[in-house]
Amino acid sequence: MAPQHPLVVNGETVEVDVTGMPSLATVLRDRLGLTAAKVACGRGECGACTVLVGGRPVMGCITPAVLVREPVETSEGLAAESADLRACFADTGAFQCGFCTPGQVVHATALLRAGLPPGSEERQEHVRHAMSGNICRCTGYQAIVASVCTVADARETEQAS
Amino acid sequence: MSWVGSRVRPIDWDDRSAGRTLFTADLPGERLVGRILRSPHAYAEVVAIDTTRARAMPGVHAVITAADFAPGARYVHRGGPLSDRPPLADGVVRHVGQEVAAVAAETPEQAAAALRAIRVRYRPRRAPLTPGQARSPGARRLHVRTTDEANVSMRLDTTWGDPDAGHRAAVVAVSGSFSYPSVSHAVMEPNTTLASWDAARGRVELWTSTQAPWFIAKEVSQLLGIAHDDVVIREVAAGGGFGSKSKASEHEALAAALSRAAGAPVLVALSREEELGANKPRHRFETTLRTEADADGVLRALDADIAVDNGSYNHMGTSVMRVGVITLGSMYRPDGVHFTARLVDTATQPGGQFRGYGTPQVSLAMESQVDEIAARLGIDPIDLRLRNLAPEHAETLCGYRVGTNRLGDCLVAVRDGLDWDAARSAPRGDGPVRRGWGVAAGSHGSGAFAYDQADRSDAALDLFDDGRVRVRHGGSDAGTGQNTILAQIAADELGVDLADVEVLSTDTERTPFELGAWSSRGTHMTGSSVGQAGRELAGRVRELAAEKLGADAAEVVLRGGRAHAQGRDVELGDLVGLAAEARDGVLSHETSYRVEGTEMLTPDKDRANLSPSYAFAAHGAVVDVDRRTGEVRVVDYLAAHDVGTAINPTAVEGQIVGGAAMGLGAALGEDLVREAGRVVNSTYLHYAMPRSADLPRVRAHVVDNHEAAGPYGAKSVGEMSIVPPGGAVANAVADALGVRLRELPITPDKVLTALAEQEGRRRRHGIWRRPSRWWIAAIRALYPLGLHHVLDRWGTRLGPARRARSRPPAAAPAVLVATGLDDALTALARPGAAALGGGTDLLPDRPRQARPAPVLVATSAVTEMRRLETRDGVLRVGGAVTLAELAEHPDTPDVLVTALRSIASPQIRNTATVAGNLVQAKRCWFFRNGFDCYKRNGATSPCYAVLGDHRFQHAAVDGHRCQAVTPSDVGTVLPALDAVLVLAGAAGVRREVDAADFYSGPGETVLRDGELVAEVRIPLVAARRGAFTKLGLYTGDFATASAALTVVADTDGRWCDVRLVLGAVAPTPWRLRAVEAALTGTRPTVADVRRLVDAELDRHAHPLPRNGWKLDAAAGLVEQAYDAL
Repeated sequence: MAPQHPLVVNGETVEVDVTGMPSLATVLRDRLGLTAAKVACGRGECGACTVLVGGRPVMGCITPAVLVREPVETSEGLAAESADLRACFADTGAFQCGFCTPGQVVHATALLRAGLPPGSEERQEHVRHAMSGNICRCTGYQAIVASVCTVADARETEQAS
Repeated sequence: MSWVGSRVRPIDWDDRSAGRTLFTADLPGERLVGRILRSPHAYAEVVAIDTTRARAMPGVHAVITAADFAPGARYVHRGGPLSDRPPLADGVVRHVGQEVAAVAAETPEQAAAALRAIRVRYRPRRAPLTPGQARSPGARRLHVRTTDEANVSMRLDTTWGDPDAGHRAAVVAVSGSFSYPSVSHAVMEPNTTLASWDAARGRVELWTSTQAPWFIAKEVSQLLGIAHDDVVIREVAAGGGFGSKSKASEHEALAAALSRAAGAPVLVALSREEELGANKPRHRFETTLRTEADADGVLRALDADIAVDNGSYNHMGTSVMRVGVITLGSMYRPDGVHFTARLVDTATQPGGQFRGYGTPQVSLAMESQVDEIAARLGIDPIDLRLRNLAPEHAETLCGYRVGTNRLGDCLVAVRDGLDWDAARSAPRGDGPVRRGWGVAAGSHGSGAFAYDQADRSDAALDLFDDGRVRVRHGGSDAGTGQNTILAQIAADELGVDLADVEVLSTDTERTPFELGAWSSRGTHMTGSSVGQAGRELAGRVRELAAEKLGADAAEVVLRGGRAHAQGRDVELGDLVGLAAEARDGVLSHETSYRVEGTEMLTPDKDRANLSPSYAFAAHGAVVDVDRRTGEVRVVDYLAAHDVGTAINPTAVEGQIVGGAAMGLGAALGEDLVREAGRVVNSTYLHYAMPRSADLPRVRAHVVDNHEAAGPYGAKSVGEMSIVPPGGAVANAVADALGVRLRELPITPDKVLTALAEQEGRRRRHGIWRRPSRWWIAAIRALYPLGLHHVLDRWGTRLGPARRARSRPPAAAPAVLVATGLDDALTALARPGAAALGGGTDLLPDRPRQARPAPVLVATSAVTEMRRLETRDGVLRVGGAVTLAELAEHPDTPDVLVTALRSIASPQIRNTATVAGNLVQAKRCWFFRNGFDCYKRNGATSPCYAVLGDHRFQHAAVDGHRCQAVTPSDVGTVLPALDAVLVLAGAAGVRREVDAADFYSGPGETVLRDGELVAEVRIPLVAARRGAFTKLGLYTGDFATASAALTVVADTDGRWCDVRLVLGAVAPTPWRLRAVEAALTGTRPTVADVRRLVDAELDRHAHPLPRNGWKLDAAAGLVEQAYDAL
């Protein structure tokens, strides 16, 4: 019998066949039909396949599914949590072709959960560095960085009030 | 409200941002996997291809070769004698990566196995790889061409205006040679096609990443021998184009042919390596230019000699060259221009169409020389450009009939926005980091009349009986926002809410004729045609409403989805049923828009008004150049554009910022580097394109304008923005350093080499007193004299990696997830087992390994290796602790945290382990990217770095046969912390090794078979301060060089305990013990440290010809570390 491995994906437990050491991205895309995570390099170098494992962003394309023991969250599962961020992306031009965007959104969601440092400049610098593993060829990044900071500010203001 | 001019969101923003938008590879459904067999040779005769074994393999449904196409089949592209490229090699391969055969199989593994089973007999031949080689006497001719010069596909020898008058009027002249690199579009979505052949009807449906469906149908149909209409392209999202997807490359026709052969749908998706290494990048231009000006700074004459590297086939080279040279005669107003331009065939990947289309390349030369003229005359560079502005509504030397031109406003915006005058005149200081300001201007058309019918755009609108509106156009929006602006236009013309407008693009059956999104034509052409369709349909709707409301059509107003007149109104949807021509509840209207007044360039005509309007821009860059490391950082960037009136300002700013960012990549890092015609940096890891932290905040500024010729006052923007960055950065660097660099990208090696020349510095590191280096020097000297050739041509045939490629690919490994250290070690002791940490290094490298391990023992759950704790003043780090966990631990010394946070990306650091980082294989781009090198393939193979590009990744000290270095930053820092590694073997064997003794060679360690790095012990010394500095080509890059310095000082500030380690300079992390000893007991200044380090470097250095600069960089990094203590 083919080796099965339990995964919790967006809150649902699934048993997946891990014969041939598939990557997490392959399992998500080809076996579970979750295609938001893109494979743009297949080498862990661009971030388009970013998903959260145990709340931490990882490169799905080079993470062997068999080693994943913590819950997985994908762009599909984070669509509601990221709604304000995605709206801000849309308002500011933080995506054009949208191919890297699910990875950007997933990574940014983790950053926003962790909280950003205080201070506008520090915030920008923090996000710029933290998101440097997510390549975007369209936007030049700044609208992405600005959106993450704007949403962090808005969420903090909302929490404070 | 008016939608045109508004900052509306992309119409599909919710789906696209959430990842619900489907790209080709995301489409559901069963299909076969298509893969392409590519040439390993730059030039070879194909003696025979045997596909028998491959066809018989399990799961293989089709194998195709040139024989599956009509004899002599060629891509048409420019047509006539320029058509030279077969869909699959027919008799000759002319570049590494050329398509030779293709397979379709049920799984990726089966497809990979089938590729290996195809036997191709090549007869390799020498062929020119650079324009210089191609034009030298005796060079092999790659094609029969129509020019009288060998390997020159097209030559332009043109004079515009009166250059002689210019020469007579000029008082100053500057000359120089400039080169702009071959860069990849690096589109995020690799080029991908899903093809489905319908045998019954003899037609094929394609879902393909394209900007221009019409051209795909044209090329695929003629290659398959079917009618144009029998290639049906369906709409699917395309992930970034930038020109890459604006003409057919190969995947489209190959997918279609495979599907026909297999009788089933086939998906061909290029890998990233194929995308960078075998697709069609920007043409490299070598531009020799002479610019002359009069005493007022007015340019009077330009004379250029340009060599364009065509690559191995024409593709779009001829038109790229034509558009490139137009730069000389389109923006300023010299008396005359003369140029000779040659499109030169080389046995490298063919160049393709790339945003800017030849203009950035020539602009670099022209805008650099404008600054040189300004410097010679003592005129401010912005002032000088203002003196050279061409008038509005006038004809240029190249035949453009320019309408509005607000370049002057753009230049003023740069001057004001950067506080140019005050900032530049302030004292510059003499610290190690110098600031410079640079400006460059540019222009670009809005859709060139480059093909028959390119002055035409058709569009259709549908009004549904529920009030919804649909735009149909035959272009494709690969991310430009075209669909959104067309929806805005339709909403305005019909007076409906934007939410009620949808857009259908691409579909060749359901959309009218339109040539697609290239040459910055989207906004002008489809904006005009959709606007025209909207006005015409609105007229019809008004007629219907007039009848319904009993009013005159002229009084009917369309607003809010209703038609209003005489105080009454009716919903637009309710009017549909009243139209006799409506079908099935849809009132459709199709129209055809034609540009007036533009002309095509023809072989006998070298001046033409190509575009209906012309966009202009001026960019200003502020850079900081670190004279210690050669690193250039852009700290501020302002891009001022004349786009006419923006239809969607947010989308326009997005194009400006994104194009500028892409141009900055080429200015500062991007360059496809080749060795023997093979791209050596065909991965994002090695291709230095800017990451988020590498770019400044690019400020987009749109000057006020309205272009009467354009739709709603708009001009183009998408390509314009990539033209000025090269010149702006080069000018800023020249301003900062007083040295002009004429070759992009301006990487640290070029900066430090130029600075050494400027200062008259030469390192004295002769090896005559070091007999141990004589043998190495002798071998290196023999490499160019034939040794390299013999090893490369013959020696590589003997190696295991070469042999492995003729065997079926290794099966996927079994993975054992161990939970205890002893279990893991027991499993590892078995033959064929290897350790698996996070997998971030091992998995991508595995396909390159000659004998990948059949069993992987995962350490990620080994309890003992997951510990991270401080005991007895020692931080104990389990080997399976991730880099992120170690960086977050409160006891981790700062110097190590700095190093950890410089590694790769947060995602990698969340997975990669400490032990894995220490034992990762070398990062040499030859070793990593498919070369059968000495370390990969054994002793009879060459080290490709000796003669290849070794500027960044190879040793300048102590290199032996392999010139690579140890890549681990952790490995560089640990010796500076006196760390000890605990190595564990089977049967309870444990041994401790000083971190300084762990490496035995580049990325090679003293680990024995079956051993693991179980733990790293770092003694915590409270008084120890440390700093780690690193030079890379982008944020997260491996070190080109690095320095780790730790110091314990006494109460007087004397250094009593010093560690200094250099990374990536020698094969292993190099502790400079002599320097440490000399510094101990002193209170050194930074100059003292630098002097000692320089002396030690000179004592040991034995650089390769082009990496001596790393010695300067390493010394500079030590200075930086001193400052950071």
